[in-house]
Amino acid sequence: MARMVRSRLYRSTLGAVIETRPGRLVLLTAVPMLWLVAMHIGPIYEMFKISLFAGYPVEAHAAAGLTLGSYAIFFRDSLYYQPLIRSFIFAFGATAFTLVVVYPVAYYVARIVRPEGRSKALLLLLVPFWAGEIIRTFSVIMLLANRGAINALLREIGLIDRPIPMLYTSFSLGFGLVYLISLYMLLPLYSAIEKIPSHLLDAAADLGAGPFTRFRRIILPLSRDGIVSGCSLVFLTCIGVFATPILLGGPSTVLFPETISVFFHGASDRWPVGAAFSLILLVSSLITVGIFMRLVGGRGTKV
Amino acid sequence: MRNMFSDAPRAALGACYWAFFLYLMVPLSLMMAMSFKDANFVAFPIGQWTFDWYVAVVQDKQFLDACLYSVLIAAATTAAATVLGVWIAMLIVSVGPRGQAVLFALACLPAVVPGMISAISLRIFVSEINLPTGTAAIILGHTVHGVPFVVVMALTRLRSMPANLVDAARDLGADSVVAFFRVTLPYLGPALFGGMIFCLLLSIDDFVRTFFLGGYRPTLPMLIFARVQGGMSPEINAMATLVLVVTVSVGLYAEFLTRRARTR
Repeated sequence: MARMVRSRLYRSTLGAVIETRPGRLVLLTAVPMLWLVAMHIGPIYEMFKISLFAGYPVEAHAAAGLTLGSYAIFFRDSLYYQPLIRSFIFAFGATAFTLVVVYPVAYYVARIVRPEGRSKALLLLLVPFWAGEIIRTFSVIMLLANRGAINALLREIGLIDRPIPMLYTSFSLGFGLVYLISLYMLLPLYSAIEKIPSHLLDAAADLGAGPFTRFRRIILPLSRDGIVSGCSLVFLTCIGVFATPILLGGPSTVLFPETISVFFHGASDRWPVGAAFSLILLVSSLITVGIFMRLVGGRGTKV
Repeated sequence: MRNMFSDAPRAALGACYWAFFLYLMVPLSLMMAMSFKDANFVAFPIGQWTFDWYVAVVQDKQFLDACLYSVLIAAATTAAATVLGVWIAMLIVSVGPRGQAVLFALACLPAVVPGMISAISLRIFVSEINLPTGTAAIILGHTVHGVPFVVVMALTRLRSMPANLVDAARDLGADSVVAFFRVTLPYLGPALFGGMIFCLLLSIDDFVRTFFLGGYRPTLPMLIFARVQGGMSPEINAMATLVLVVTVSVGLYAEFLTRRARTR
């Protein structure tokens, strides 16, 4: 490094640039700002632009006018708005269920496990986190299929004669979604609950508050940040899940991402509709998260 | 009597923890167990056991090619996302509080946008800049997804860095580039390494972006997805088990590293 800095080439190029204040500023700002604007906003902006086109790719002879026609298509057919409603129902259901199931687990690791054991207790739960969407979804099939583990077990102990069809139903999809997302709830809840100072709880106990009151008046309000960020994360992940409904759901459980994907197969002139639908999904889910943050966030919590 | 009252909730919570642990583990364990079934169909109970599916998998040209392709994409993604993420983090710590909030929100945007929408918007973007779908498009898409995680990891570490370290280097005659490479970057060290592995696994596990940005050459998740749709066979289980074991080991190692870095 030292030799490089002393070389003439370095001094006449990079060295010269960082000698001056504007030079340093450009070096620090140019690349990150370019990336942030072009790659973090660019795709969403392009999607918005395409959604207003009448056709894509734009034909030379076609009128260059912009239209809201693609958005109108959404409201015209229940084939389109039903899956969106279903996406929201599944995302709400999975988020609420995950919160209820994971909260006690997070509480246990954060407050009851001794501090030196916490990392280990958490790490044990993080193992499936690294398995990826497809493999985790695939493993749910092993459990729920007609010849899967649950049906085999039930038949073995003589409870059933023929398998209970569980796969390709709302149940398998819900199960798969919760299996996919539950860990995203764990970490925010854990770090929020762990931060609550225990002397607050001791003080409350000294003043005569029972376990339930302590939970309701101290633990729950003070872990609100974790609840808000965990629920938002889980909800947005659920909304954007594409492969899991295809593998675990059936014809009656088509979610909105699958509806969108149809417009990108083959006939490319349907892209504006797909873009418009994606924006409808993005805006409606962000508004939902925004409302949720407002409702639960309360005073003094920033997200 | 008192003891019983205070112990009951503890025991119940402990039961919750272990039930949750089982819930997470059972499907994956079943998937692994099925890879040893000595039959060409997937059904419980397993009965006869065999290693043959693993022999088949390691000779499967498509699988080996997909492994190579996934690793290649992940390596390129990680390199690009690390450089960009650290650069963005350096910018964020050097501006005022209001600018910081705006830039941080902007940097985190791709991590918040739901996967499907991110994939579609990237698909449109790639076509607008005339980049054909395939390797370059996938790497671009994965990099966009990975950058926020590197930014967050680098920022947490940068904020805990004593400002006088860089000042000392500058007093000793290092210019700002030298100070960055000799002082700041080594300080980021292990935390950054953890972020890089996170980015690597994010790319290897990604399905939806690859699905829309990819060409005909499948990555690992694409191959497994296509095989699952084509029909069940314990060979898929063997394939998934191999991928699972490797990614989980790498992921836990990264987790271990970042935890150690944080407690130091």
